[in-house]
Amino acid sequence: MIEIRGLAKKFVVENLKKLSDQEKLDPRLKGRFFHSVEDVSFNCEEGQVLGLLGPNGAGKTTTLRMLSTAIKPTSGSVSIRGTDVLAEPLLARRKIGFLSGSTGLYGRLTGRENIQYFGRLHGVSENDLAQRINELADLLDMHSFLDRRSESFSTGMKQKTSIARAVIHQPEVVILDEPTTGLDIMATQTVLDFIRRLKAQGTPVIFSTHHLDEVDELCDKVTVIDQGRTRFDGSLLDFKALSSGSMHESFLATLKGAA
Amino acid sequence: MWLVFKKELLELLRDRKTLFFMIALPLLLFPLIFGAFGFFASKAFKEAETKVLKYAIVGGEYAQGLSASLAAATDKFELVDVSPDADLKQLIRDESIDFALKVPSNYDQPLLEGGQATLILVLNDAGLNMVQSRVKDLVDNQVEYKRRQAFDALTLDDAQQTALLKPVVIEKDDVADSRENWGEKIGGFLPYILFILCLQGAMYPATDMGAGEKERGTLETLLTSPTERHKLVLGKFLTIAFAGVTCALITILSMAIWGVVLSQGMAIKVVGEFMSAISALDFVLMFLMLAPIAAIFAALLLSLSIYARSFKEAQSYMGSLIMVAILPIIMAMMPGVDLKGGWAWVPITNVALAIKELIKGTMDYVSLFAIFGSSMLIAGALIAFCVYWFNQEKVLFR
Repeated sequence: MIEIRGLAKKFVVENLKKLSDQEKLDPRLKGRFFHSVEDVSFNCEEGQVLGLLGPNGAGKTTTLRMLSTAIKPTSGSVSIRGTDVLAEPLLARRKIGFLSGSTGLYGRLTGRENIQYFGRLHGVSENDLAQRINELADLLDMHSFLDRRSESFSTGMKQKTSIARAVIHQPEVVILDEPTTGLDIMATQTVLDFIRRLKAQGTPVIFSTHHLDEVDELCDKVTVIDQGRTRFDGSLLDFKALSSGSMHESFLATLKGAA
Repeated sequence: MWLVFKKELLELLRDRKTLFFMIALPLLLFPLIFGAFGFFASKAFKEAETKVLKYAIVGGEYAQGLSASLAAATDKFELVDVSPDADLKQLIRDESIDFALKVPSNYDQPLLEGGQATLILVLNDAGLNMVQSRVKDLVDNQVEYKRRQAFDALTLDDAQQTALLKPVVIEKDDVADSRENWGEKIGGFLPYILFILCLQGAMYPATDMGAGEKERGTLETLLTSPTERHKLVLGKFLTIAFAGVTCALITILSMAIWGVVLSQGMAIKVVGEFMSAISALDFVLMFLMLAPIAAIFAALLLSLSIYARSFKEAQSYMGSLIMVAILPIIMAMMPGVDLKGGWAWVPITNVALAIKELIKGTMDYVSLFAIFGSSMLIAGALIAFCVYWFNQEKVLFR
């Protein structure tokens, strides 16, 4: 369905002297280049939910940005149902629904206008647009604030609007970068329910998170990234089997195993 | 592209801050500032004209006539008695008198006998005062009398008298009509205001659409939408240019309207005559000349804005851009800089000069096309750069 092979991304370091001592110790720094992602591979089939785990700075966001075609990988391949995303980014963008971790809304537009704008950019017809917004508002419980200016939204309202915006064009793959970070319990539950619905519809979801309980609840597959490399890629059961104890121990075991 | 344009414009119109800076400020505040300035200036002027001046006179006995007329004008002058050896300068500094006159001994003697008389006026001439002109009004009467006296003694007829007073008169026969004359004066100033306002008006939306998107985190989402980058850029660019032009035109319009409203009677006639001398075509051409300038500014601003990491950074970049942009505009205001020679090739300056020529009615329309074309070319190149810039990861994800 969606397959990622040997993805890598390096950035030019403009000024080596500006880096902190700790950054200089990072093995990914090679000469003038910082290899943010060196070798990441995983795949996700129809109806599967893949949890992307890794410590801060591991390269999760960079990986997801490459998947969403916001940035171009240095090497590697990403294919969605056989379409090479890297060769045809415009086509790929129609197939992908992407929610970035630092996403925001246009504060002076209402929630509905925010969703409409991106729907139109995706070429969704006006009829479909109105209908889908209505459906999504039902699903995500958004009717009470949909026509208010989004600058006054709470974090949860914003996140719901952002999710609706990300899937307005009915993408084939949904990529969510830390969708539950900073949300309260109710909003988190709405987001998780939404992911579950996507799964039921057969849409593969890739999401990064720091909450292992979410992974336990939703995911079929787990991929752990550390220092720009895939450390673990397998089913949730295999991941749990890495240690006798909790998920946390399994997670730490993957990192240790690599080191 | 129009989708982006429409959305950006909607967002712009929803923002009260922008509306305030773009419309309310030029429409209401500028005339208010100018009006207040004019009011206070005329008030100060009037005060200087009507104030009763305290004066001292030394050697008043040599100038009976002058002393008498000074003393007679009690509503204008007030005599302060001082001892003959008093320090007049100190008295003026202490503000116990406004001015002092030192009359020479030959003042009242007939011109032909006493020769030229030097009347010394001691005053503090810094700041607004009308002392000299008010004293001169009085002295002029005596000058007239002295002349008459001398002419009578010489027994000259009227023609000889006139000739003696002004042996040669230079009479101007100006080939420049009043339009060219006024155009030279206003024409330098108008493009200056127009360009600065255009830049000013475009600045805020530009910041919002580049750095603002980064700061709010909407940029990444926008980039992953299946719209070609050049469409995004053009949509944003058009909004910025549109905002700049609108801001400039609204301000100019408000100035024109307020100018007509404030200046009554004769002034209207002059303005009206001047305006009617400029053809509709020239107005359209002026507007067209503004387009490439707005485009150049918009492209520059957008490039800076998208490069900046935050609102604050964008604003500091744009602050320096204003300094750079003002230079070629000021060049066009300098005397002696015109479309002949090298200046026709300096971007922005040449457009400002062309607008000036259009107002004066002395435009060579062939070079107008050259200027328009070259400015368009520059604008096009800058837009192309903007699109290229928008495709650079190191710019977008800094």
